Order: sequence, then C-alpha cells, then structure tokens
Amino acid sequence: MNMSGLSFNALPPIDLPFRFFLTAPLFIIACALLVLFSGETLWLSRWQPNMLALTHGFTLGFLTMVMMGALLQLLPVIGGVGIAKPRFIATTSHVLYCAGVVALMFSFVFAHQWLTLAALILLSLGFGLYLSAIIGVLIKKISQGDSINGFRLAIISLVILLLLGVLLLANRVGISVSFITLDKHLTDIHALMGLVGWAGLLIIAVSFQVIPMFHVAPSMPKYIKQYLAGSIFILLMLYIFYAEFALALIFISHGVFAVTLFYVIKQRKRKVPDTSIKYWQLAAATLLLLNVLYFLPEYFYHSEETPLFMPLPDKGMLLTAIFIYFYLLSVIQGMLLKILPFLSYTHLQQRCLIDFSAMQFIPHMHDFLNKKQGVALYYMHIISGLSLVAVIFEPSLYVVFALFLLIEFVWLLFLMLRCMRLYFSVSKKINLSNNT
Amino acid sequence: MSSIPEYMTAKHRECDEFFSEAESAVADKNWPLALAKWQMFASELTEHLAQEEDVLFPQFEQATGMTAGPTQVMRMEHQQMRALVQSLDNALAAKEKDEYLGLSETLMVMMQQHNMKEEMMLYPMMAQHLSDGDQLIEGFKSSEVA
Repeated sequence: MNMSGLSFNALPPIDLPFRFFLTAPLFIIACALLVLFSGETLWLSRWQPNMLALTHGFTLGFLTMVMMGALLQLLPVIGGVGIAKPRFIATTSHVLYCAGVVALMFSFVFAHQWLTLAALILLSLGFGLYLSAIIGVLIKKISQGDSINGFRLAIISLVILLLLGVLLLANRVGISVSFITLDKHLTDIHALMGLVGWAGLLIIAVSFQVIPMFHVAPSMPKYIKQYLAGSIFILLMLYIFYAEFALALIFISHGVFAVTLFYVIKQRKRKVPDTSIKYWQLAAATLLLLNVLYFLPEYFYHSEETPLFMPLPDKGMLLTAIFIYFYLLSVIQGMLLKILPFLSYTHLQQRCLIDFSAMQFIPHMHDFLNKKQGVALYYMHIISGLSLVAVIFEPSLYVVFALFLLIEFVWLLFLMLRCMRLYFSVSKKINLSNNT
Repeated sequence: MSSIPEYMTAKHRECDEFFSEAESAVADKNWPLALAKWQMFASELTEHLAQEEDVLFPQFEQATGMTAGPTQVMRMEHQQMRALVQSLDNALAAKEKDEYLGLSETLMVMMQQHNMKEEMMLYPMMAQHLSDGDQLIEGFKSSEVA
C-alpha cells in the first residue's frame, strides 16, 4: 500500500468541478437548436452528419463533461488523493475539451477538413491532459473495494473508445492506417465502448457505493459487486469478435443489474422522498424495458400487421436513444441533484472551521437546490424523453422534442446558476464575518 | 488482520439506521419518536467519534508517523458533522420539519462521503499498521456493555 501524498481531502476548489457542470447543459441546448434546424431528415439514420453531431453533443458535451467534473470531486473520496495541480489541469483540459467538442460537432455538420483536424487536436490534448492526471491517481493502490476496479475499467474503456475515435477522425482528414479497417463494426465498437464501457461501468461502480450509503440500503450482493463490471468489460472485448452473441449478454447483464437495483432500493431503510432514488428507479426500469425491446422477435418491428409498433426504420437507434436518455442521463441528473448542493455546502462549511460563528450563514442542501424544483426536473426529463421516442417513430414531431429538450436543460442550467449564486452570496457574508 | 474495519463499519451502519428512523419520524411529524431516535443516533455518533479521535487516530499516527495526513482531515470532517448535529438539535427542538429535513440530507451526504474514506482506506490501513487492533476493539466492546 503506497500512502505517500495521501491526504483524503484535496477537495478541489469548487469552481473547477462547477465549470464542467455549468457548461454541460449548454451543449444540450445547442443540441436542441440543432434538432430544431435540422428538420425531419435528421432522424433517417444514425449516419446523418447532423445526427453524429447530436449524439456527440449528448455524450461528450453533456455526459462525459459532467462525469469529468464529478471525477475531480470523487477521486479524493474513492482514491485518497486528488489530482496534482488541479487548477492548471482542470482549467486547461476544460477549455481544450469544450473547444474540441464544439469543433467536432461543427465538423460533422459542415464537413470541413480543418474543423475535423481542429477537433482531433483539441480533443486529444484535452482528454490527454485530463486522463493522464486521473490515471496517475487510479494506478495507486490506496483504496480497497470493488468500486475502484469499476472505475479503472471505465477509464480503460474511455481510452479505447478515444483511440478508435482518433482513428475515425484521422481517416476523415485523409490519414489512414493499414492495420485496421474502419467499417461499421468499428464504429459500433466505438459507440458501445462509450455508452456501455465508459458511462455504463462508471455508473455501475458508483451505484455500489452510493445507493447503500446514501439511502441506508443493504449492500449489493457480493457476486454482483465482484463480477458484474468485469463481466461486462469482457463482453465488450468479446463483442469485437462475436458481436451478436456478446450484445445479447450485455443486455442481459444490464437486466441483472436492474433487478439488483430494484431489490436494493426496495430494502432501503431511509425512505424520505428523494428525487435521486426516483431517477435510479427510472434507470432500472429502462434497462428492463430495453431487454424486452431487444429480445422481441424482429417481426414486431417490421411486420405490417403488428399491433404493437408502427414500422420502425432503425431498431438500433431506438434502443440507443432510450439507453442514453432514460438510463445514462437519468442517473447523471439524479447524481447532480446531490452533488451540486453538497459541494456548495461543504466548501462553505470548511471555510467556517476557523470561525464557527460564520456557520450560521450557511444554508442547508435543500436551500441550495429546492426539492420541488428537483422533482420538476425529473418530470421534465420524462416528458422530453417520451418526445424523443415519439420523434423516432414520427420524425415530423421534431419541433416538439426540440422544445421539450430546450425547456428541460434551460431549467437544469437555471438550477445550477441559482445554486452558484447562493454560494457566492453566502461566501461574501463569510468573508465579511472573517474580516471583522 | 484485526477486526477494526469490521467493527467500525458496523457502527457506521448502526448510526445510519437510527438516523433514518429519526428522519422518517420527522417526516411524519412524530416528534416524540423523532427525539428518541435522534438521541440514540447522537449518543452512538459521539461514542464512535470519541473512539476514533481518542484511541484509534493517535495509535495510527504513532504507528505510521503520519500526523498531518488522513487523520487530520478526518478530525476536521468530524467538526463539520458536529456543527450539523448542533443545527439539527435546534431544528428538532423548534419542530421545524423542512429545516430538519434539509439539514439531515446535508449531514447524511457529509457522513457518507466521510465513511467511504474511512471504510475504503483508513480502516484497512489501520488493520495493517496497528498490531493490537483486536485488543482495542475488545476494549470498545467491553466499555459498550458497561
């Protein structure tokens, strides 16, 4: 066990995680505008240039952005040490990363060589800087437990998906490599590594810790904690060679995870109403629904007489959209509802430890993030998610989806700004109190 | 291998249970039950923090020579928790439900991120570095009975 540099604290300055959180909804707002101006043709296939911009706006602009901010915060808790030079690393990688995602989205829409090149360079630098700092912490064997292994596998998946992404982008600017063919299968691996490996494994690892602890529930069954993340990772590797077989097992593994989630949540002792728990339940229900949809015989999707479904152009698109919107986004929003107010609180409180009298100024978590406003976000999320499903069946409904998306994420941005504003006004009061 | 992680982790869970019961009672506005459960939580917490600060932390610091590291941060977080417990005492006395629930949510998150650090890192380290860990825990258990 290497204990050098161990601090348990190294809580990064609050503006570092918050800059990641605050920029994330802006990318979805941009996505909503993209949906609005792209029209019906956007929904024809996942290969539409604007659709590629949209998926990367969601996954890189929002999901990965929030996860990068949250990891800065989580590392001292799960790994015992924060990253070295947090201000330099977080600020620089954030700027490079934001510019990179913008360039990437524009490069899909406008297909300019120099935009693609810019995206390639900016994203490589941004991710490279951030990841080298995070990996530096994760390779130290300080922490015990199954979560930390899940984190490591998630980061490995991220590295793999990024390498594939770099190859795909490089190919667009005319740099090709001979040892690998860039076909549909490769982009499938790239997408699956991102959605199931990076985002999915991180969520699974977080759930092992967060649900039993915050909701006073029994811990997840031992074999789930020990083997689930590893099995999914192995299935992702297997997917490279036996795609259909591995994919079916990946769906089933997530079904098992969903059942475990429901079971643990049901057994929880802390039953005060909690929007984060609602988000987890929504996420678990989504995984079960996805299993049903995946294993439904093909004729349900294509037969003319089917009573269940209207003809569906692309089953993959439907399943992916539901996975991203109702599973990944749900969990991330549920986490944000806890992280935002807690960070605000704990940073302010730490500054009062020298002068306890200033403690009276600090609002509690529900003041930073009003509970009812959190519940409102949850319902907005369900409505906009349903409108996303509707638009996949009936592309002419795109305006409805764009508007709901816009409303939900402007609301999320508002909640974040409100929390930050309260933070700064209290911070000012503490300063005044410390100076007198 | 001593039983420090096992015993101290079990204490965390025990505190959590009293805490949730008090919180549910407040949500139902059952103030007498809330007070009873809250007091059980508060006395468990006080005892647990004392066991760490008076016995385990000094022993760990002596065994490893790390006085400015993890234990110092843990002590600071204990102070943060004590401040919240104080505010919760007041909210309970004034029967302010929303105030209590906002504060209890805050204490819950504060405690759990603290517990994670102890359970995932500090306790296993203590088990490794304190050769008399078992005796220390036996001491805790016997004072509990008394």
